[in-house]
Amino acid sequence: MAKKAKSRTIPVRLISMAMTGYFRTMIRPRTHRPLSMLKYDPVVKKKVLFLEATKGGRNK
Amino acid sequence: MATPQPASGLLNKLPTRLLNFFARYPPQHYSAAVRPPPTDTTPAPAQASEEALPSPYTPNRDAKGHKRPDPTEFSVTRALLYSNPDHPNPFLPRKNFRTGKWIGPRIGLRTQADLVKLAKKYNVEELLPAGRKSTEFKETRKTERGLQVKGTGIGQKVKGHKWERTMETRLEDRRKAMMEMPEMIRLWKQRGHGRGWKKWPKK
Repeated sequence: MAKKAKSRTIPVRLISMAMTGYFRTMIRPRTHRPLSMLKYDPVVKKKVLFLEATKGGRNK
Repeated sequence: MATPQPASGLLNKLPTRLLNFFARYPPQHYSAAVRPPPTDTTPAPAQASEEALPSPYTPNRDAKGHKRPDPTEFSVTRALLYSNPDHPNPFLPRKNFRTGKWIGPRIGLRTQADLVKLAKKYNVEELLPAGRKSTEFKETRKTERGLQVKGTGIGQKVKGHKWERTMETRLEDRRKAMMEMPEMIRLWKQRGHGRGWKKWPKK
């Protein structure tokens, strides 16, 4: 049986680097480099850096 | 409250159980009213230490973090539990100072409670000997102990919710992270907005 085709895009979780536990979920192309952006964190009420969380070193 | 000397008519109205009790333990010798006032024992800690050392009613609560009060310390409730050496209070345990053994009260706590309830009903509670079931003792103890909320005593604490227990460390982590945030953002911008970023958080 043929292997199931992987989707072109994947959902990723961008974690607030303010260590508040706040995160945003985004969809990016599988082959794209990991996402990172400055976004608002409502817990600390500031724009902070959000970095994509790795799963099993996929982003390395 | 009734006066220590009941009216003669009252005697006929009292139930047999109370009458029997008063016949055996006459109020003029045994009742709480003939006890010396508790203030008398205040300047005499030696007497308190002799009379009210480890009580058999106090189980070992040290294991639960309960801080046992100093038994030699004067307390009003302890002074209330008075026993005349000539007429030993039937509601209180006694210590045999020769053998060092405790003798239980002549009348058990459950029976004491029954008697107190009965006496209260007929308004003659003051004629009973001093005991742990008396209204006076219970009220004094309540005022003496104050608000009995678990965890508020010295050296006591409650477990609490997990978010309460970890609150301090989480806030500290957050504070540290926010201190380093401008530097992190500067580095991130310097490395091409994440193109050369190596330290990705683990999920």
